[in-house]
Amino acid sequence: MKISILGIIITLISTIALSAEVNVFSARHYDTDIQLYEKFTAKTGIKVNIVSGKSGALEKRIVEEGLDSKADLYIAADAGRLGAFDAKEMLQSGLSTEIIKSLVPSNFRTSKWVGIAKRARIVYFAPERVSATELSGLTYESLADPKWKGRLVIRKSDNIYNQSLVASLISNNGKKSTSEWAKGVVNNMVRDPKGNDRAQILAVAAGEADIAVANTYYLALMLSGKKGAEQQEAAKKVKAFFPNQNDRGTHMNISGVGLVKGAPNKKNAIKFVEFLLSKEAQEHIVNNTFEYPMIESVSPHPLVANMGLDFKQDLKTKVVNFGKKQADALEIMLAAGWK
Amino acid sequence: MRINTWYISSFIISLVVAIPIITVFTSFFEDTSNYFEIIKNTFLIEYILNSLVLLIGVLILTFIIGVGSAYLISFYEFPGVNFFKWALILSFAVPGYIYAYSLTAFFENYGTLYSLLKSFLGEGNYNKSIPKFDGMTGAILSISFSLYGYVYVLTRASFHYQSQNLLELGQNLGFSRKKSLFNIILPSARPAIVAGLALVAMETLSDFGAVSFFGISTLTTGIYNSWISFDDLAFANQLSFFLLIFILGLFLLENLSRKKAQYHSLARGGIKKKKKIKLFSFKSFFAFFALILIFSITFLFPVLQMLYWTIIFPKNFIDLNISQLFINTLILVILTSFVLLIFSFLSNYGNRVTRSKFLQYMTTFSITGYAIPGVILAVAFISFIAWLDNTVIKFLDLGSIKKVFIGSITGLVIVYFIRFYSLSFNGLKSGYERINRSIDESSYLLGYTKMKTFLGIHLPYLKNSIFLIGILISIEVIKELPITLILRPFNFETFATTAYVFASQDLLEAAAVPALFLILIASLFILITSRYILKD
Repeated sequence: MKISILGIIITLISTIALSAEVNVFSARHYDTDIQLYEKFTAKTGIKVNIVSGKSGALEKRIVEEGLDSKADLYIAADAGRLGAFDAKEMLQSGLSTEIIKSLVPSNFRTSKWVGIAKRARIVYFAPERVSATELSGLTYESLADPKWKGRLVIRKSDNIYNQSLVASLISNNGKKSTSEWAKGVVNNMVRDPKGNDRAQILAVAAGEADIAVANTYYLALMLSGKKGAEQQEAAKKVKAFFPNQNDRGTHMNISGVGLVKGAPNKKNAIKFVEFLLSKEAQEHIVNNTFEYPMIESVSPHPLVANMGLDFKQDLKTKVVNFGKKQADALEIMLAAGWK
Repeated sequence: MRINTWYISSFIISLVVAIPIITVFTSFFEDTSNYFEIIKNTFLIEYILNSLVLLIGVLILTFIIGVGSAYLISFYEFPGVNFFKWALILSFAVPGYIYAYSLTAFFENYGTLYSLLKSFLGEGNYNKSIPKFDGMTGAILSISFSLYGYVYVLTRASFHYQSQNLLELGQNLGFSRKKSLFNIILPSARPAIVAGLALVAMETLSDFGAVSFFGISTLTTGIYNSWISFDDLAFANQLSFFLLIFILGLFLLENLSRKKAQYHSLARGGIKKKKKIKLFSFKSFFAFFALILIFSITFLFPVLQMLYWTIIFPKNFIDLNISQLFINTLILVILTSFVLLIFSFLSNYGNRVTRSKFLQYMTTFSITGYAIPGVILAVAFISFIAWLDNTVIKFLDLGSIKKVFIGSITGLVIVYFIRFYSLSFNGLKSGYERINRSIDESSYLLGYTKMKTFLGIHLPYLKNSIFLIGILISIEVIKELPITLILRPFNFETFATTAYVFASQDLLEAAAVPALFLILIASLFILITSRYILKD
């Protein structure tokens, strides 16, 4: 009891004493990020306070706290989330400093939120069962081709990565054509969607399916051995393919950070975002999460680089559309029977 | 009846607990966005169906395991029976979401089972022959195995107090064992079984961790999504209406059975010690095998899976700041038990002293907080505080109370308080019921004040109850996930939230260490109290 009360008092005093701080609400939980934040504190003297959780609940907390919210920054693992939060008028301008503008391509930022790392949503295939000719010229659009019937796995429609992918298709091809596409994809599924992205890759490795749609860092995570020797072996049975190389490029999404309206430590928050885009921070991020760096001077983790670096990224479709078309995307998928 | 301090204080406590419950259902009558108007009806049916399938699956499974094990342990003598008697309650230490992690990790493609098969049998494609327990099946299994303890404990208690005379009557009538079971034993234990199943049902409906891990949309996750992610209050209201109907039905059922259970079980004037039937050879082996299977599946399996990972990936163990997590968990456990016990005492004593019917109804209503899913309760609390702050507090110009209650230990403890109030209140109530009112009267006659009666007589009498309830609250707090996740302060993690955070970045291996500690600490608490749990 004594210890615990002492603990509370110490926590209270330490939060008061360190008045230079930045408060981060993070829906992207990486324990390694904490080490990164410590580097920032060491450099600037600004303490990083963090609370992580499910994006919905974090957003609700910020909304209800309103102007009294301590939140300075909101970190999410998808542009769709940041866009939707912005649509609720919960973010404010301030992230278009010269440094940020010079580092981040314009399609990955607005004045209110900015990407800090990239991920590609790509196709994985089993080389034993899928030939090079079959794959050549593969696009997201052609995943609806009947030749993939009973060969495709992809996760559920409530998944935000899928919603953003479909939103990008709506932006490029319109709602009607995307509806037809979704029906084709559902027809091609080998099973009802289940599990996370890694489970889709494993299904291809185990021979349940021939192709899977999943984000890039999942394969790298398996190859890294962090999931054990078995999954490392399994990952080697699967190859990555980057779709839409002959037109707009592969679908890119971001992990990003938004500046919360009424942020009590706005200046510190902007400093922190600029720090996240520094070479040091970017290297830390790509080496721990296997995402692609946002800035050009840093290269991805070797395991990610091995999957192919010289692919064409879709820099045309603005990620801000992911949030705007999110509702349409979900509606289309559900109407097509995408569970 | 007189309006005095006791009356007022217990009225206020009930009101405080009841407020968020009212908020949950009133806040849905606000404006709403019509985000997904078109697809809503499909959702509604899917949520109700999923909740029903989940509920029925869990009820069947917990009934079979809970009643079956209680029956074997209560009526038969075979090797290990005394070990299983308490070992089976260890399943309370494993939360549904952690069971879900273990189940997935073990059976997934290239998972732990694959590794085992490979190391014993050599290379081979075992993935196709390994059954996959995911989706609805996974959710039913995970939730059943973590909850069957309720049915087991209550049924066993009822069997324990069952009149030996009744059983002998059956034997005299020439009933076979099977006939005795179905015609005498089960019917007379029915209230206890129903009470256990009703508890299981309420926990199942409010589960968030396991169902969201398996991606099953139930009424609870539906309310969460439509309310929190899409601001669709009207739809959330619709869903809560259905959830409320489910829960109210269960609540009534449970209350009714509890009353009957007391009527049935309290064999006053002493219980004749039951003669257990000794099992031999094949039958004895079968009983032993069935129980070791239940124990292994529900408790050993998740523990071993977590232990396996901790050993294979020792870095996760080294990197984790266990002492900090332990202190944080301890702070919550101590504060919550302390606050809950004090207030439950106040309101129990208030009820006892004033004998007000109104107060009793008020308390009964306030303990329904238990039936509201934690995830919904947490958000309702935030909404309520925000509303209070924006209207009353702003009007009185008192500054802001949001910082005091949202994202603070205070807020966390208050919401735990609301969620677990029924556990603590009912526990003390049943303790109090054993103290004859005439003792109070005598005390007053002797000139003791109410306070002195309370401190000098009730407290020492209820020592054991207090201890048991304190521990039960602690176990719940240690396992609690959604409330902690939503309301915790900056830089504050518990074992449960740490396990969740790792699991949500697809690093179940790293989630193993906090999960293992969570189970071990909860197990320790259970073992301390096993004597009491098994008695009542």
